[in-house]
Amino acid sequence: MRGFVRWSSKWWPGVVPLVLFWAIAAWNDTTAVEADLTAKAAAAVKGIVLDKVKIAADGRDIDFAAEAFSEEGRHGALTAVAGAPGVRLVIDDTRLVPEAKPFVWSAQRDVAKITLSGNAPLPAVKGKLMDIARDQVKGIEISDQMGLARGAPVNFEDAAALLIGQIGKLKDGKVTISDSSVSLSGMARDLGGREAVAAALKNLPQGFSVAANDVKAPPYIFQANKDPVAVTLTLSGYVPDENVHAIILGSSSRKFFSEKVVDNLKTSVGAPPGFVNAVIPALGVLSRLSTGTLVMSDREVKISGDALYDAAAIQIRAGLTKDFPREWQVTADISVRPAAAPVDASVCQQLFSDLLSKTKIRFLTGRATLDSDSTGLLDHLVETALRCPNATIEIAGHTDSDGEDVANQSLSERRAQAVLDYFVKAGLPADRFTAIGYGSTKPVASNDTDDGKAQNRRIEFLVR
Amino acid sequence: MAYMIAFHWGWLLAALVLGFCMGWVAVVTRARSVSKRWMIVLSVLAAALVAAAVLQVVPGRFGYWLDLLLLMFVPYLIGCAIGTQLRAWVVMRAMARR
Repeated sequence: MRGFVRWSSKWWPGVVPLVLFWAIAAWNDTTAVEADLTAKAAAAVKGIVLDKVKIAADGRDIDFAAEAFSEEGRHGALTAVAGAPGVRLVIDDTRLVPEAKPFVWSAQRDVAKITLSGNAPLPAVKGKLMDIARDQVKGIEISDQMGLARGAPVNFEDAAALLIGQIGKLKDGKVTISDSSVSLSGMARDLGGREAVAAALKNLPQGFSVAANDVKAPPYIFQANKDPVAVTLTLSGYVPDENVHAIILGSSSRKFFSEKVVDNLKTSVGAPPGFVNAVIPALGVLSRLSTGTLVMSDREVKISGDALYDAAAIQIRAGLTKDFPREWQVTADISVRPAAAPVDASVCQQLFSDLLSKTKIRFLTGRATLDSDSTGLLDHLVETALRCPNATIEIAGHTDSDGEDVANQSLSERRAQAVLDYFVKAGLPADRFTAIGYGSTKPVASNDTDDGKAQNRRIEFLVR
Repeated sequence: MAYMIAFHWGWLLAALVLGFCMGWVAVVTRARSVSKRWMIVLSVLAAALVAAAVLQVVPGRFGYWLDLLLLMFVPYLIGCAIGTQLRAWVVMRAMARR
């Protein structure tokens, strides 16, 4: 043993080449060890959700910088790096992702580009929202300007996905989530897009509320053109549903008794409130014009054309404010058609008969109140009466045989008188007219059928 | 440790061989022995380096190089011990035969 100790004191010369070996090994292997440990540390945190990960090795020590989305995630990442084989020390440069207050996310659409910006809670959510955007609007550039932050409201992902769905319905605009309130602005791509967006917003996840929905839609257009040469009434634009479509067509055919109604209407949602209540009086005005155009754009109504006589133009202008729903803007550019040449009494009679052969003056059932659908006809009758200023005219009222004779007599007289009153209001002298009621004494058809009765309920004009 | 051995096994083997050769030669060399005083100084230095490595107080690359140096000393010393023991045995047998 003593010999071994003595010999061991002579081992020192080998230390010189050993140190040389060490120097060569250190020179040769340091960068390789660092690269290997960097890769191993990166692999260790691969499955952990982190942002801005930076891993650098200094010898066997790992300088680890990252932003974690929770304290548990941060600790887990540190433990994983420290546990990577070969790692000696971990220099902790990690921190939590900053918390956003308020948590704001937005998606903006310009015509050919969508930009997602603001905050997303996790990289996976960010990626998913980008995927949803790509699915929604194919062939459009999607730009990702989202950052990552903590503090997202519960169900953020669902709400953002729903809003990305809405941006596809916009031509341009912006949707924003700020904490749990949602706001939208912009222009809808299609008519009815605004309503579709509003309907979709009802499915927002619980806890979210709509702070502002300023999505605008293209104007809701309805047009009618009365062409006296082609004798047509052309309807175009949109109606909200088939029911309203039928109402408008029915009203048009009654009001425009001599014109053929050309129906080019399409059905679409997005009609302004009170649409029917505005269309019907607007068509009523148009029916009183010899030629004219009606254009409705959202709640703006523009009517232009020629009235048949001066008083009609005055009546039309006066009726604009009271006949239309409130909040509708009505402008009318009404001129008066030049008076037609005077004719003698027999021609006048023929003109009355021609007009009344196409349709007849309507009253409310059982009453002597003129139906508004007959205003156009009445204006034509007034215009005819104006053409024979020297003739006296008997306005004869008739009823069918239903009910008491006395009541029918009275009703026929009052109806004839109502027509006479209309003529007087139109500026015709009252002494040219006499209103006579015949009750049911002069039927022109059998009172046994509904059709016959309808023919018997009538107003006739006798020119003398 | 396992990682260091696995990564530098070539160098460690070289240190073992070097140690073996040095131990083989040490039995018959006329080289000067290390004095007892120097032995104490070197032991204290070695203990200090081991302590520094264990406590991981040397940072970064220098820490890694220290670990590598100490690790290479282990097979060197083992090689020396084996070489010396074997050479002593061979010499003893030769002397006995004479």
